[in-house]
Amino acid sequence: MMTTIMPEAILMAAEKMSAGGKHPLTAMFGRDETANGVGYVIYCYFEIPENKTVDGFKVVFNPNGSLEYDSITHIIPAAAWYEREIKDMFGLVPKGHPDLRSLVLHETFPEDFYPLRKNVKVNAKVRGERQFKVRTAKGEGLFEVPVGPIHAGIIEPGHFRFSQAGEAMLQLDAKLFYTHRGIEKAVEGKTPYEALPIVERICGACSVSNTWSFCQAVEKAVNVKVPRRAEIIRTLLMELERITNHVGDIGNIPAGVGFNPAISLGGRLKEKLMRLCEAVAGNRFLRGMIIPGGVSMDITPELCDRIHQVMDEVADGVEDMATMFREQENFQNRIQTTGIVRNQTAMDLAMVGVGARASGYSHDSRCDFSYGVYDELDFKPYTKTMGDVAARLLVRIGELSASFEMVDKLIELLNSCGEQELSVAMEYNEGSGWGISESARGSNFQYVALDGDGRIDRLFVRSASYANWPALPIAVQGDIIPDFPLINKSFELCYACIDR
Amino acid sequence: MEYIVTSIGLSLVQGFVLLLIAPLVAGIINKVKARLQKRQGASIFQEYFDICKWWKKATILTPYTGVIFVLAPVVYFMTSFMAATMVPGFLTGQFSMGDAFIFVYILALGRFFMTLSSMDAATSFGGMGGSREIYISVLVEPAVMLAILINSIRYHSTTLSAMVIDYNEAFFTVSAVLACVAFFLVMLAENSRLPVDNPDTHLELTMIHECMTLEYSGKLLSLIHLGSYLKIVVFLALFGALYVPVEIPLALKVLLGAVLIGIVETLNNKMRLFKVRVYLGAAIVLLLLAIIAE
Repeated sequence: MMTTIMPEAILMAAEKMSAGGKHPLTAMFGRDETANGVGYVIYCYFEIPENKTVDGFKVVFNPNGSLEYDSITHIIPAAAWYEREIKDMFGLVPKGHPDLRSLVLHETFPEDFYPLRKNVKVNAKVRGERQFKVRTAKGEGLFEVPVGPIHAGIIEPGHFRFSQAGEAMLQLDAKLFYTHRGIEKAVEGKTPYEALPIVERICGACSVSNTWSFCQAVEKAVNVKVPRRAEIIRTLLMELERITNHVGDIGNIPAGVGFNPAISLGGRLKEKLMRLCEAVAGNRFLRGMIIPGGVSMDITPELCDRIHQVMDEVADGVEDMATMFREQENFQNRIQTTGIVRNQTAMDLAMVGVGARASGYSHDSRCDFSYGVYDELDFKPYTKTMGDVAARLLVRIGELSASFEMVDKLIELLNSCGEQELSVAMEYNEGSGWGISESARGSNFQYVALDGDGRIDRLFVRSASYANWPALPIAVQGDIIPDFPLINKSFELCYACIDR
Repeated sequence: MEYIVTSIGLSLVQGFVLLLIAPLVAGIINKVKARLQKRQGASIFQEYFDICKWWKKATILTPYTGVIFVLAPVVYFMTSFMAATMVPGFLTGQFSMGDAFIFVYILALGRFFMTLSSMDAATSFGGMGGSREIYISVLVEPAVMLAILINSIRYHSTTLSAMVIDYNEAFFTVSAVLACVAFFLVMLAENSRLPVDNPDTHLELTMIHECMTLEYSGKLLSLIHLGSYLKIVVFLALFGALYVPVEIPLALKVLLGAVLIGIVETLNNKMRLFKVRVYLGAAIVLLLLAIIAE
């Protein structure tokens, strides 16, 4: 049970929980519990890797009292975005926060509009004129380069403002959250089953991971154990998704430097994998497989053979690509020492996934938490220490070979497991739970609270990209602006995951 | 008098012939690149369709631009065309219309106007492209001048047609080979090809030549592209006529040069912007060696 504290005690509680940075901040989010007579609540979760769990505290605010609290950003820098989002969504103000601009709600929203408070209707129509000031540097000879929100490629909207001294990037401010979809609000009042298709579509790259985190949270809330065969299938799907995305990403990084043969090879391999996904799930994003209580479909032995075969082909292709990268001196010159994230930065910002592991920060939810059948797979996080584009590329290649092995073992486990029920019936009642799973981008955390009718009262989604976006403006410092696309691609941050 | 009329006439005819085949050569480069990446690729005639498409579209001018913005593509195209009339070896072999210095600085004039126009629309991408173009052209210019110097020392003339390589004399001498390699490197930089600039990219932040054309549309855009295609052909022809010490027809040299560009562009990725000086420095050193060997 989480401890409940008063707003005055938040700094002390946060300091104690983080244990000098040993326990990274997982997430911080608000919830409106005024209907139960509690008030507005901020949940603060920290990872406790030694216990393979998350723990934290909740801060309760009296809706009629002061809605201010002391910002914890200066002791836990990773809290910066969470506090700004809570301010946008619930109107709880972190005093002493270094950057109190709104995060999610742009100019088109009115002031004093807090969408996640319960007194705001789901279909509320509002129009306003907020101020949103993009950060720039001023000085003799400095100039700004605005990029986006509409880009030349087929990508999502995001505005980048570079403050330049010649070709060198002095400062980057990213204005994101352009297509905020209000998913967390939209699923309120829906049953988990109704919410499932929405959660699956938060993002195309992490649909298995998001769904799995959501299902874990729901299963924890109602205390259900998933059949073993379903756990194996879920793990297998997760690794398929990781392989598909990692292959896509390593094929996309060379596009930042116009290294054409590698781009084409990456594209071919990714297409092969997506067709495999279609054969497995009936769609190219592995949607519709994971449901609360288990999985909806089995993976037959014939499909396992097909998976084996495609994995062999893709493993050969990845080997070719790795050789291509190694032998292309000009490419190595571009990726080495470009876009460095130092180890301390990665820890301070509580980065996750490839971004963290490339900076020597061994953070992998597959080891840090116990879910699926990862415990049986004898698996260690793959890390590099340089923190540059090359390190992020190598971490992906290293993880791919680990994932190929895992898929083999998972298919063995699946064959030895025998026929079994694929899912258990779900009885929804009041409760709350969290779920975490490691996608190709990093760990995706979700929190679900169900009300007495078993309907969702609060869903919170902390995607991997949410944790890693703040690292990008730091990584680009000291590099020149033509290197930005390369650095950006090496993180492969997702817009949809934060526009939830 | 008759001599001048004939040579002007022949030069113009040659300019138009090169203009006609220019999009084809660009199409061949793209086809080679596509096939080497195991892609089907667009037809080798695609660039003709593109030019026609842009020509038919409306030209949109932002209200912030001045007369330079409209003038620049015309100047750029005309300078490429004039350079095309000067290339020795096709029709104008025996006439000495083109002087090497005029050739180099006519192309420089076109580049100068493009750089001016890139700043005219006052967009940050344009300015970035302009500054990078100047940075590269400052390095390209001495290299081209040195390359010309080699042949002018060898043949005691600065007239392009007099500098055409003599296959009996310069067949695989040290200086001929060095000059050949160096001029090819310079040609890639001058024509905004990989590894210096990436002609295929959509990433505005990394562009050089394309950055300057971002604000253009319609007829002005098709003029710029036609000018660029023509420039490649001009350089390939010059490369073949002046620096490739192998006795085969010039048209074949242009075709093989285009294939070679396609191969080089597939094998290379774009280098760091500030490494371009090392790349062009290497070309200049090769050229100096060639001059010493001469």
